[in-house]
Amino acid sequence: MNNLVTLELTRALRNRKFLFFSVIYPSVLFLLISGTADSTTTIDGTGLTLPTYMMVSMASFGALTAVLMGNSERIAKERENGWVRQLRLTPLPGRGYVLAKTASAAVVSLPSIVIVFVVAAVAKDVRLDAWQWLALTGAIWAGSLVFAALGVAIGYLASGDAVRPITMIVYFGLSMLGGLWMPTTTFPGWLQDIAEWLPTHAYAALGRAIEQSQAPQAGDIAVLAVSFLLFAGGAAWLYRKDSLKA
Amino acid sequence: MTTTATTAVAFDQVSKSYGTVRAVDALTLTLHPGQTVALLGPNGAGKSTALDLLLGLRQPDTGTVRLFGSTPREAIVAGRVGAMLQSGGLMDGVTVAELVRLACALHPRPYAVTDVLSRAGIDRLADRRVDKLSGGQSQRVRFALATAGDSDLIVLDEPTTGMDVTTRQAFWATMRDQADHGRTVLFATHYLEEADAIADRVLVLHRGRLLADGTATEIKAKAGARRITFDLDAPIDETALRALPFVSSLDVSGPTVRIRSTDADATVHGLYAQGSYPRNLEVAGLGLEEAFVALTTAEEARTA
Repeated sequence: MNNLVTLELTRALRNRKFLFFSVIYPSVLFLLISGTADSTTTIDGTGLTLPTYMMVSMASFGALTAVLMGNSERIAKERENGWVRQLRLTPLPGRGYVLAKTASAAVVSLPSIVIVFVVAAVAKDVRLDAWQWLALTGAIWAGSLVFAALGVAIGYLASGDAVRPITMIVYFGLSMLGGLWMPTTTFPGWLQDIAEWLPTHAYAALGRAIEQSQAPQAGDIAVLAVSFLLFAGGAAWLYRKDSLKA
Repeated sequence: MTTTATTAVAFDQVSKSYGTVRAVDALTLTLHPGQTVALLGPNGAGKSTALDLLLGLRQPDTGTVRLFGSTPREAIVAGRVGAMLQSGGLMDGVTVAELVRLACALHPRPYAVTDVLSRAGIDRLADRRVDKLSGGQSQRVRFALATAGDSDLIVLDEPTTGMDVTTRQAFWATMRDQADHGRTVLFATHYLEEADAIADRVLVLHRGRLLADGTATEIKAKAGARRITFDLDAPIDETALRALPFVSSLDVSGPTVRIRSTDADATVHGLYAQGSYPRNLEVAGLGLEEAFVALTTAEEARTA
């Protein structure tokens, strides 16, 4: 299986467009959004400066891009062109394919997180304790597994022309409504109520809690855990259904 | 030795339906190690479904499929099966060599990557991106994936589609070499001359059932597959000709008699025994293609 992970990675690193969007783009977006903000104004009710706040948002967004976009479209395409069938004629265990996809997406998502951090620290003077940097990296990286599972589920659910729009809607919906692009405090009340239940909202909240030196909210952990079970369960079910009809 | 040890493939009363269509209907067959077997059948005969069932890509509704005494999946995991399917795709964005290296790494008893590449005739394509290949080239990459390791059974679905004549000949030379090393080779094909030239056993599938099973010569014989042509002096006694042994069809036009016989030797012998003196006697074998058409049309007529 390691060989497939290596090959998936080789391919991902060759794909400049994908690399740009998942590795560079979040940092660029971070600079654009926090461009004019000074480092003293804080976001309502968080005690965090805008750059500090947006750093977690964009790191989460970058990880989301890498794992969601990387998986869904590839899987749908490879199911269709028969590569998945071809792999089933090798001793590779069935779930090895999905695991390899997820593992290679996770490898790509790590630099996208770290680059946002470096840009934030260098260009926007974001300062955190050493443990906070480490905990942030770990939490955002681990949390991206939730969306990797979602990507796999979409890849097995949709096919052909449908997969890209579905991925886009889910991707932008989750990013925007979850507050990755702008603080949800700017939303109308009813939208804030919805946003709170989104896994992306909980995902970013996890990082922010670390920045505030607080323990993560139990509610956020629960939302992420339930989402993961839901997405991974759905992906497993869809995968099995798919392999029966080959 | 047990029977499972000497059996490469065993279908036992295997059926598979899609809705109301019976793609494979109570199929029972056994393949032995070292055989080169051609699987023939008109479109929709159930060839692809049969191969899917054989490889465990689909599950039969009833009946069992065993490869070397175990399930298809177990046999694949043990590296005993290499397969190339029409519907099998390739991973894009990687090079031919990278993909073959992956196939070798996944096989429990892999061959060297360079050997696999050269045997498939794609060593010069090693650094080419998979998504930039022509149809025939992709076909050879699929073949390389199917033969990345020391497998006992090689399954090929329409392997030479998209190959030119030279490549096709080189391809079959490789396959024959595989069979000489005791491997079982099972291939489905549209090119009946390939089956005729290469297979030592031919299976004819029709509407999900086994219509014929034997050597190419036997299949031709079964279809009444020898044509005897000769001239006779008038008057020609058609009843006597029809009474000759093994005659399956008779056609008389002028002095020329055309007989299709399942045993040309016996028919000709009977002809002389009748006291006839045929002139310009010619005995020709039918191609497998004609035999195949004769067999399947006869079956269509019978079941219609």
